[in-house]
Amino acid sequence: MSVETTEVGIVAASDVEIDTEALDASIREFAETNGDYYVGAFHKIHSATGLPPNTFNIAAAVLGPLWAGARAVWGMFWGFLILEMIAWVQIGRGLWGDPGAEFVERAEKQRERAAEFIERATAAKEAGEDPTRFEKLADNITKAAEKSEAQAAALNAEGLQILLTGLGFLLLFKLAQGFYANVAYEKQYSKWRIDQKSVESGRKPKNVILAVVLLLLIAPLTIYKFTVDSPLEVLNAFPEKAISHDVFGMTNETIYTETATWLEARIDAAAQAGAGTFDSVTAGVRSVLDALTIALIGTPWPVVMVVICVVAWRSAGPRVAIFTAAALAYIALLGYWEIAMETVALVGASVLICVVIGIPLGIWFGKSMRAYRTAEPVLDLMQTLPAFVYLIPIIAFFGTGNPPGILATIIFGMPPVIRLTALGMRGVPDSIKEAAVAFGASRRQLLKDVEIPLALPSIMAGVNQTILMCLSMVVIISLIGGGGLGKVILEALQYAAKGPGLLGGFAILFCAMVIDRIVQGAFRRADQK
Amino acid sequence: MEEIVVDLQGVWKIFGARSQEAMAAVKSEGIGKPEVLERFACVVGVQDATFQVQRGEIFCIMGLSGSGKSTLVRHINRLIEPTSGVINVLGRDISSLKEAELREVRARQIGMVFQHMALLPHRSVRDNVGYPLEIRGVPKSKRWAVSDHTLELVNLVGYEDRLPRELSGGMQQRVGIARALASDPEVLLMDEPFSALDPLIRLQLQDQFKALVAHLKKTTLFITHDLDEAIRIGHRIAIMKDGVIVQIGSPEEIVMNPADDYVREFVQGISKLKLVKAHSIVEPLSKYSGSLDGAPRADEGADLDQLIDLAVGTDLPVVITAGDKEIGIVTKPRLLRGIQGGKE
Repeated sequence: MSVETTEVGIVAASDVEIDTEALDASIREFAETNGDYYVGAFHKIHSATGLPPNTFNIAAAVLGPLWAGARAVWGMFWGFLILEMIAWVQIGRGLWGDPGAEFVERAEKQRERAAEFIERATAAKEAGEDPTRFEKLADNITKAAEKSEAQAAALNAEGLQILLTGLGFLLLFKLAQGFYANVAYEKQYSKWRIDQKSVESGRKPKNVILAVVLLLLIAPLTIYKFTVDSPLEVLNAFPEKAISHDVFGMTNETIYTETATWLEARIDAAAQAGAGTFDSVTAGVRSVLDALTIALIGTPWPVVMVVICVVAWRSAGPRVAIFTAAALAYIALLGYWEIAMETVALVGASVLICVVIGIPLGIWFGKSMRAYRTAEPVLDLMQTLPAFVYLIPIIAFFGTGNPPGILATIIFGMPPVIRLTALGMRGVPDSIKEAAVAFGASRRQLLKDVEIPLALPSIMAGVNQTILMCLSMVVIISLIGGGGLGKVILEALQYAAKGPGLLGGFAILFCAMVIDRIVQGAFRRADQK
Repeated sequence: MEEIVVDLQGVWKIFGARSQEAMAAVKSEGIGKPEVLERFACVVGVQDATFQVQRGEIFCIMGLSGSGKSTLVRHINRLIEPTSGVINVLGRDISSLKEAELREVRARQIGMVFQHMALLPHRSVRDNVGYPLEIRGVPKSKRWAVSDHTLELVNLVGYEDRLPRELSGGMQQRVGIARALASDPEVLLMDEPFSALDPLIRLQLQDQFKALVAHLKKTTLFITHDLDEAIRIGHRIAIMKDGVIVQIGSPEEIVMNPADDYVREFVQGISKLKLVKAHSIVEPLSKYSGSLDGAPRADEGADLDQLIDLAVGTDLPVVITAGDKEIGIVTKPRLLRGIQGGKE
């Protein structure tokens, strides 16, 4: 083996000579057209030590966004397009706008009426009646008309001012673009050096065309709409009714009504066809809820209270226990005891069902990447869909009341436990799984002894998240007839009853805090183990 | 001593979706690795591995990362299925075993130790060691007794109720060894067990391990990327490169007669003093014309270190004997060359 010996001269940083040839070639390759100009511009930027830009790109100043688009500096394109549009709209308003039009029109009308009254006055005179009343009216209206005319004149004078402001802005933006263009383009060049594949370079015809098309689409219509006094009606609102009528040939209905009716019929049909299934689901949920309700409400209240306080103490310590006792006292003294226990039963039933379904699903998704990939969009949908949206199909299929409310809560609350269980399962180190298999573990033993214990912290974090999400949702289900404290709030909202609403709100807050504290405490203890 | 415990015949492992096609092409057309990759997009992990390991032997498989040594050893307990070839362990064809039989063999006959310990973090040391027994359904009282006994073997008394993370790396790996020994298997598979430890601890554990295995008479396949370690521990060494076993031999054979440049490069840095014995550098008596009266004498099993001690005090060569017979001499130039590793 021979070591290559190369002379490496060490030069002080201040004496390092700048090798411009390679750099120039690279800048030329980047800029393609007008390479020499950008070589010079970038050199100026590279050797600048202060902040203010010391180059001015005339093309960018004159062409504006068109230059930025053609050179694929799209951020600059959009930014200055909007700014220039504002300037152009001002100019347009100044040039073609008729700001006094409204008052001119009003003045004309007033003059007409004044003439009318004068006519009536002369008619009255001829008839031998007293014309003073009409004369006075005509006089007043004429005065008002004069006032309107003065206002119109003032506004029209303002038009010139608007025009000048617009021109000023335009000049300012053009200058800004001229100064900023090379700086922005140099930044793009630096990015291009790192990633030549995805950062565009040069002046590609594709980009020129795109920029022109965008400008033509956006600028004229917008300027027209803001400038002209009464633009075409089509531009004000989307003509969906006209499209329904002219394109689809509907007479009375629109696309909207048609689709809605069709959907409604489908949902009704589906609800009827699957009535048996939906009823049995509801019955199942109801039985879980009933069991919990009996446990919480059927049991004498002192027992339940003591049990809750002791659980709080054991899992989260004396402080939380004292807080829990105080919260329970508040709830009980204000007469919310039974209704609060109903809320707890609703949350409990939701969480129970979420966990019973969610953990096995999570284990499956953790083991099968393909299953997880199929399920992920569904999970995303469950979490991102606003609750109000899926309340409607739930009413359609399951009716109203507590069990459908629990189903809605489950939709909202289940994704975290599934996701975090899957995450935990995937996080179990392969080496430990392999060791268990090497010692003869079966799949069941692997799951029981290795995978679930190692994934447990993650699974518990998922359960905790699910509990919190169920708690927040259980208030909303009062909208579809769910009971509990949510109903108290809903009623207070409907009658704008401030006092009861606030008291009920605090009751919910305390419920949530107690459950959260107890669960957090329990999980923290388990984590420390 | 002559009983063969592990027997591999022509084992191939080709990774990839079209491994069977690739295997057929290899057998019929004899195509090489690059062609397999190009034509079938498959990677050859192990190429035609054949060797036998005898009862009580420590068989080292040495190679750099990516040479396929870990892949090869995982065939023995069928953590990896071979694409082709036969693997016999204790006279049973591992590939033909059914699911339940295979689990039984893994649980009773083959223990394994891993580079990264792979202990169960939520179980105590005792329960980790007892886990192979637990899988087999051994009752807890028996499990605990066996665990405690095995932990004694690896000098971990007093740590039974600790969690693995409370132990140092070296101690954790001793737990790993105890776990592999707990079910009293015939075969031990050691997958770079000491690579993640610092050098001093590694030396200690190597010696302890060698003594332990000699005492328990376990047949061991020991994987390492460190030739020093292989030489210290192994009775025989197989050197792997790119999935191929380049050479199999005793440490001395490998050091003195490297099969190719690849092995030679490895062997260069190895100290031969304790490794090379007189019989491998001996020259015929006729080489020396003068009188051998008063020349120092050494047995043919003496190593270079001892020969140097003898040669220092005299100008005469060292006479090598086998029993009472003089079988040859070692001159000083020969001795110096021997230290260099048999360079001519």
